[in-house]
Amino acid sequence: MSHLAHTVAVRATGVDMFFGTPENQVVALKQADFEARRGELIMLVGPSGCGKTTLLSVIAGTLTPQAGTVEVFGQRLDGLGQEALTTFRRKNLGFVFQSFNLIPTLTVAENVMVPLLIQGRPYDEARARAVAILDKVGLKGREEGRPNALSGGQQQRVAIARALVHEPPLLICDEPTSALDKDTGAQIMQMVRDLSRSPERCVVVVTHDHRIFRFADRIAEMEDGRISRVVDDPKLLDTTHL
Amino acid sequence: MYRLALNMLFGDRAKLAMLLCGLAFSALLMAQQSSVFFGIMSWTYTPMVNIRAQVWVSDPMVEQVNDAKPLRDTDLGRVRSVDGVAWAAPLHTSFVQARMQDGNFKLITLVGIDADTFAGAPAVLTQGRIEDLRLPDTVIVDEWGAALMGRMGVGPDGKPRSTPLKVGDTFEINDIQARIVGICKVRRAFTGGPFVYTTYDRAKGYTLGARRTLSFMLVEPQKGVTPAELCGRIERDTGLKAWTSDTVIWNWGERSLARNTFWWFWTNTGIPFSFGTAVLLGLFVGIAISGQTFYSFVLENLKYFAAIKAMGAGMGVIARMLLVQAFTAGLIGFGLGAGMAQAIGRVMIEKGMPPFVMFPQILWATFALVLGISLVSAIIGIIKVSRVDAASVFRG
Repeated sequence: MSHLAHTVAVRATGVDMFFGTPENQVVALKQADFEARRGELIMLVGPSGCGKTTLLSVIAGTLTPQAGTVEVFGQRLDGLGQEALTTFRRKNLGFVFQSFNLIPTLTVAENVMVPLLIQGRPYDEARARAVAILDKVGLKGREEGRPNALSGGQQQRVAIARALVHEPPLLICDEPTSALDKDTGAQIMQMVRDLSRSPERCVVVVTHDHRIFRFADRIAEMEDGRISRVVDDPKLLDTTHL
Repeated sequence: MYRLALNMLFGDRAKLAMLLCGLAFSALLMAQQSSVFFGIMSWTYTPMVNIRAQVWVSDPMVEQVNDAKPLRDTDLGRVRSVDGVAWAAPLHTSFVQARMQDGNFKLITLVGIDADTFAGAPAVLTQGRIEDLRLPDTVIVDEWGAALMGRMGVGPDGKPRSTPLKVGDTFEINDIQARIVGICKVRRAFTGGPFVYTTYDRAKGYTLGARRTLSFMLVEPQKGVTPAELCGRIERDTGLKAWTSDTVIWNWGERSLARNTFWWFWTNTGIPFSFGTAVLLGLFVGIAISGQTFYSFVLENLKYFAAIKAMGAGMGVIARMLLVQAFTAGLIGFGLGAGMAQAIGRVMIEKGMPPFVMFPQILWATFALVLGISLVSAIIGIIKVSRVDAASVFRG
């Protein structure tokens, strides 16, 4: 039991999440249970509107559920205030967004430095670490360029560098390959897998893209606001509705 | 983060240019209009600057320096007898028509000073000697007036002249010849006419028909007696009104005639309203343009601010980033606007019109207002960003 407790990175239990007014309520999550382990890359899949992004937001601490408990690396999030949640995200989370969200008026290196600067690290230290991780994602020499001068794949690599530069234990990826072609998407997922693979780190990926399922250790399928099943082998999933 | 905030600001050059234009225009309008306003208002008490004396004595009903109510010549003796008076000299000021060589008339400010002491004489003469005023039919004209009246003169060839009047030239005041024996440098007045200095007795001659010609008395206190103290004694002993002559606008005392003149024009003319409207316009234009541009800058960057929020930046950090951006733009905008106002002011000062006095206080006030505009802009942005849900970054 003790060993199991240590292996769990994220645990959401009985999570309810509704939007809208009581008369016109939209149920996003209904008694959703989810678990992710340390050292694994788990994918959240399911049809549009099934609640993937909402669950991801709850796990990331950007949405507070109306009911249920959420625990990330032993820290209960459901009872935390906004300030504590912000601090939690700053220390523990890295994000890769669907639309990259790279600030176009900053250089590539400056974009990567953002999480470190938010943590209050000195500019020079942040810059050195940004340059080092950009080298790892194959963007050496592009540090001073603007994100808009890069291809989509390169921009997502910058986003991965930004998500990992402060070495967060939980990496949240929201549709990381949806704006990329098949080969670039595969490269990006390989990179996410290679760079984030650590016994202490957990990667949660929300995706529609069945072509990248092979990169997952486990896949959690969602339906109508809850996890319907979790599989270890992507072949076991019926992807026709995704 | 502040360095990145600045890089975000400077990275969007089009927005930055627009923002700076708004702030600079606003600073220019506020600083320039305020400077012209204070320039014009400082002209209202020009006689106090041009005619130097520590204490001025007037009729009790006098409210400001341009509105002299003539005294009796015997009042001079009464003032001289007040304890603490070192000396008292008569002063005549009036507006009279001077006839130029080309036959045109020009309204001048005639100043009659005591021929014995020359109390109230101009401090700087660029041509001639003050003592020559003791010669018959002589006057001293101010430099600007000499240039103005020179253009109304006739050259030796009978054609209109273009050069300023100089020592030796003549014109007429009430059909009495006035021969120029000096050109002086004085400040121009609100009333617009040139200053023409002569002796007090001759001024009486130039203002034919005037029963009383003593406009003011210029008084010097004895050593150890302050001007304010002497004013009190003169008022108590003679029933006349006595004024101090301090003209430093930020430093004038209760009894200052300059201050009374300033406030008389403030309350009795539309000048403050007119210029105040222009300054307010500058402020509103600044708020409108800068607020709108900064808001649009924030809107364009909203999803990035949301991403930064999601990554763990608190609203405090983001608010400070926006404040740094807004205040930096404000600082640059103020520098540009104030610089332009200074440049325009230099041209104005060289041309002499309109008057331009840029007190440091004007710059400080403009700076504060521009920072106020920046603050309003930043607050608008902060409110917008604070309402953005960090979870919105996951919505594509």
